[in-house]
Amino acid sequence: MRTSLIMPLLLLLIVSPVFGADVVKIAVTGPFSGGSAPMGASMRDGAKLAIAEINASGGIKVGARMMKIEIIERDDEAKNERGALIAQELASMPDLSGVIGSVNTGVVLAGDKHFQEKGITKIITPAAGSASMTQWSKAGVKDLSIFRFAAHDGIQSAMVVEEAINRKYTKVLLLHDSTNYGVSGRDDLLYQIKKQGNKLFVVATEKFNIGDKDMTAQLLRGKNAGAQAVLIWGIGPELAAVANGMAKIGMKAPLIGGWTLSMSNFIDNAGKNGNGTLMPQTFIEEPITLKAKSFIEGYRKAYKVSRIPSPVSAAQGYDAVYIFAAAVKQAQSTNTKNIKEALEDLKEPVKGVIAIWQKPFTKWNPANEDSHEAFRRDQVVMGMVKDGHVVFANEADRKRFIQNATTVKGKK
Amino acid sequence: MNGSVIAQLVVSGSLMGLVYALIAYGFQLTYATSKSINFGQGELVMVSAFICLTMTNLGISYWFMVPLGLMCGALLGLFVERAGVRLALEQKNEGWILLTIIIGLFFFSAAENIWGRDDRPFPTPISSEALQVAGIRITPLELSVALGVFAIMGIIELFKRKTLLGKAFEAVAADRDAAELMGISATKTIMLSYSLSGVVAAVAGLLVSPITTVGPTMASALVLKAFSVAVVAGLDSGFGVVLIGLFLGSLESLTSYYVGSGWREAPGLILLILALAVRPTGVFGKIPIKKV
Repeated sequence: MRTSLIMPLLLLLIVSPVFGADVVKIAVTGPFSGGSAPMGASMRDGAKLAIAEINASGGIKVGARMMKIEIIERDDEAKNERGALIAQELASMPDLSGVIGSVNTGVVLAGDKHFQEKGITKIITPAAGSASMTQWSKAGVKDLSIFRFAAHDGIQSAMVVEEAINRKYTKVLLLHDSTNYGVSGRDDLLYQIKKQGNKLFVVATEKFNIGDKDMTAQLLRGKNAGAQAVLIWGIGPELAAVANGMAKIGMKAPLIGGWTLSMSNFIDNAGKNGNGTLMPQTFIEEPITLKAKSFIEGYRKAYKVSRIPSPVSAAQGYDAVYIFAAAVKQAQSTNTKNIKEALEDLKEPVKGVIAIWQKPFTKWNPANEDSHEAFRRDQVVMGMVKDGHVVFANEADRKRFIQNATTVKGKK
Repeated sequence: MNGSVIAQLVVSGSLMGLVYALIAYGFQLTYATSKSINFGQGELVMVSAFICLTMTNLGISYWFMVPLGLMCGALLGLFVERAGVRLALEQKNEGWILLTIIIGLFFFSAAENIWGRDDRPFPTPISSEALQVAGIRITPLELSVALGVFAIMGIIELFKRKTLLGKAFEAVAADRDAAELMGISATKTIMLSYSLSGVVAAVAGLLVSPITTVGPTMASALVLKAFSVAVVAGLDSGFGVVLIGLFLGSLESLTSYYVGSGWREAPGLILLILALAVRPTGVFGKIPIKKV
């Protein structure tokens, strides 16, 4: 009787590490609650959709085995200190293959050093703040395990300034929030205005805090100085307070700013005051390709929504998982360092919902952050808020996006 | 300096100031009778707003939901009084400070678990289309905040002055022991003041939610400002709280425009330090008479 109990237990002890080794552990981190939640939760849900698809097809083939992906979720609540704790915890897991996530630049700055220290491969998405990658180039790090899969603020601010110049504006109000994201966005915008020939005159540079609801003072300064557009860097709830404040004081100038202007909590809280707002986007929730159609329908069905809270985050989370899975397959290993090397030299194109990704990353070069940045100007378009949805601001861009997602071409 | 700009800034700022004042008024009500305040007042505002939002989502019409919401506010106020304040006051200790903070934290985590941590829009029948009044643009929604604040404070002040129950309230505020000797139950009066304070919190929740959206942290910034207002004004006068609230709100707005948006919080803090250093009883506070 006694032996009959002990034997299976012993067997279990011997067998279970083998079971454990048959999964690829990926951590997904981000704010799943609070003001940044539409981005964090959409990214997580997009990633889970991709993981479910991969697991349903049997998993990733490594050697003779089919490995399933196991997801570890961590909510950083957009708080820097929580992000740092989570990064510490994940970095000390011995069998973690990699990390996907982070929405807030401050969280990235607080946490990523722990991943880099232990050489854990991380794909940042959708955090866009420039500092997330420039911190490594500035430090002259020789070997980097951090990658980014998002249109970084360098690209975005260039597009925002370009858009304002194209629309023949000359006077702009610059507004930003007081977080790391807002302040670095302000610096990027000022740099781009200078770089693109000082064609825009900044009538005032104003800031606001997270939680501020009354923006009258900041907006009046712009209005009275004759600002024709508001260039803005912040997140959903406060962006909505700005749009509503503009309507209140009768300021008719478009908001042009970071991709956060596509967040559902901006669109919903601003209502019709948000119409005409322009922002760079890497994905528009329109079934322009078969893949996009099945992704959008799959997402809406799986999470019972009629609109993806942050389509950009969801699509990026989805594609990031496929790119990561491709690296696991190429490395033929779940070891995070081998996966990093595979990511730097992906042989096969990866078919994602945003584009077909060909060699998205190359070997890290501290003199050029683009080596670990997947997105180029070509994969980003201007989106515009129209009656509660984000649509293509310029119809010509739709064609470019269809082409990106359907044809294989060399990376520029 | 441009007159209409100043007027616009003062109007927009004072509206926020009135909200600070309304929350501070909730402190003043309970302080008057029991010399205690509810440090979880901000959470009462938030929980009442969530309850009102839930009722609206259940299909109850706005105008029917309002009295129900106020009733919930009163019940929450009574709960705070019974659970956090009464025994501490009977034992003449300061336990209520810790207990009201703890009850506030409890409400906060309860709200996070029941309603989630997202900020949600609050539907209201009042329009947010701006009106132009003498060069100043203001939305009916903002006007409703001002009207609501004055209405609820007016009603409570009238009640205190004109009704028998209100007179009992004033008597306990003036001298608790003497009032008890006259047959007024101090415990019941304190219960009344906490339930009124809860009603005031519910009104604040109803009024600001369409502007701030509803979320667990919606009142945390407001309540800090309300503390400043309460300390600067002193906790003896409802009228003083309103004046200081209006003053602080417009000062913030003007500073933000003329000095820079980074300095917005500065005047409130400077006022607070000045008040504590120069006149700790507050601008409108009564200096206690020492019996020798």
